[in-house]
Amino acid sequence: MTSRQRVMAALRREAVDRTPVCNPTSVATVELMDLVRAPFPDANRNPEMMARLAATSYTELGFDSVMPVFSIIQESSALGCKMQWEQKDNWPTVRMREPIWVEPDDIKIPPDFLTHPDMKCVLDAIKILRKEYGNEVAIIGKTMGPWTLGYHCFGVEPFLLMSLDDPGKTKLCLDRMKEATVQFGLAQIEAGADALTLPDHATGDLVSGEYYKRYLLDLHIELAERLPAALILHICGKTLDRMDYIAQTGMAAFHYDSKNLPSEAMSIVGNRISLVGNINNPETLFSKGPETVREEVYRNLESGVHLVGPECAIPLQTSIENLKEISRSVKDWHKDHSTSN
Amino acid sequence: MATISDISNEFVRNEIEEYIEEPDERERLLTTYAKISPEMQEIGAALVDGQHLTVDELTQKALAAGTDALEVMDDGLIAAMQIVGIKFRENFIYVPEVLGCARAMKAGMKHIQPILSASGIKPIAKVVMGTVKGDLHDIGKNLCIMMLQGAGFEVIDLGVDTKPDEFLAAVEENEAPLMGMSALLTTTMPNMAVTIEAFIDEDLRDDVRIMVGGAPVTQEFADEMGADGYGKDAMECVALAKRLVAEAVETPG
Repeated sequence: MTSRQRVMAALRREAVDRTPVCNPTSVATVELMDLVRAPFPDANRNPEMMARLAATSYTELGFDSVMPVFSIIQESSALGCKMQWEQKDNWPTVRMREPIWVEPDDIKIPPDFLTHPDMKCVLDAIKILRKEYGNEVAIIGKTMGPWTLGYHCFGVEPFLLMSLDDPGKTKLCLDRMKEATVQFGLAQIEAGADALTLPDHATGDLVSGEYYKRYLLDLHIELAERLPAALILHICGKTLDRMDYIAQTGMAAFHYDSKNLPSEAMSIVGNRISLVGNINNPETLFSKGPETVREEVYRNLESGVHLVGPECAIPLQTSIENLKEISRSVKDWHKDHSTSN
Repeated sequence: MATISDISNEFVRNEIEEYIEEPDERERLLTTYAKISPEMQEIGAALVDGQHLTVDELTQKALAAGTDALEVMDDGLIAAMQIVGIKFRENFIYVPEVLGCARAMKAGMKHIQPILSASGIKPIAKVVMGTVKGDLHDIGKNLCIMMLQGAGFEVIDLGVDTKPDEFLAAVEENEAPLMGMSALLTTTMPNMAVTIEAFIDEDLRDDVRIMVGGAPVTQEFADEMGADGYGKDAMECVALAKRLVAEAVETPG
């Protein structure tokens, strides 16, 4: 199987020759930036650099996918949010303390949304990767979900207070913001993306599982119907209490955090959605060595997780050795298990 | 020993019965509330229920009736925030509800603070809080600040993207014995160590106790960089702050 075939099969929970290695968020690191001369912040704004850095996931680390959208800011930038672009050793961030919207009627998707430089950069990078790698490797795009756009555009605290004070108004806002999600998603599919990560940060560290059901379940079902590509939902933090709902969305996969045990996650979702994850970033990939990485890879494989990878966008100072260990461990595990079979 | 029937307010009684499961915490709250007047219990009930307009109105009414501002703060607001903190820790409520309760607390405090400031009554201690340089996330920090204020601390909030010299200046200017740093990104965590180094370089390290927190931060990381304590959530932050302040009093820098 090619890497692309492997990823796409795993997203459909079909047979694979081995578990694919994938990060639906970002594997950009400072070491990789230096290797291919594609440093932040430029690699977030220049399509050639973006593609070059994204490709290292496949060419250097042995992952089965490439994902060029390293941060979560493109849509918010195009919608008019103020940005802090930072330097090489930090991600660009939205200045959420300077929100651009207060009321539902403030929500407007500008006519030049898709041609905004930060959006066009992603579309061009996907085209470059598709042209360069053809059918070898899975190209995963990224389109931010409306809950996260709510944080960025309304501010985290105002948005969460709105959700408490006025559920109707909140749902209206989400309904209007989801059009940004759909527009950018469709454009990336057209550009050549095989799948799309959909981060929507209704994390258990902030809101309850009941919140997910109330505000996002139906919306995510709709997004799965409207976007004709495999969708990989990403929510950080504790999410076991909402995984049953997530498994009902019709999305291809859920990218889950290390705060949830692989075995528990698998027992909740069953065969309804693929799981991607969930190697710990700050404590394992960033701070420990290959042996600990291997343990976590094996824990996921033994639980039957469909695609193995880091739990989220990896820390920029993560060592390449730890990242390479993920692919090595997956291959070794399969070798051992086919031998023992 | 106080019992649930010693509490006059039905809402508060129900909150304690339903959500306070840990025996020591339940006993402490029963003892506290058994001594609190019905009027103050009513303020507390409104706060726990996130009714900021009611808290605003009842606080003003109590002060106008001659109730001591400190009593309104301690018995009406701070006691209720203990219930909120426990419910949050135990995942009975989440951040939106806590924000609602914090808004209610602020609604009461805006009437109380001027009176306390004018009378020279001191908070437990001053604490400087900020998210470190390069990091724009603040929800965790803000939750800690709400809980610290709810516990009687005076907080100097430096906001986000706070440089080491800004932490230094705030601690010096306010003579704060305590400081807290937050980081949500692994890329910005190292700035906690940089900030602690700045305090060492300026010969101020012994004058302040430094606590750290944030999603990627661990006890191990906190120890390695020389922090005095690590709190994994807002409730632990308050307990840690109290412990560090007590240590600072016992062994001044």
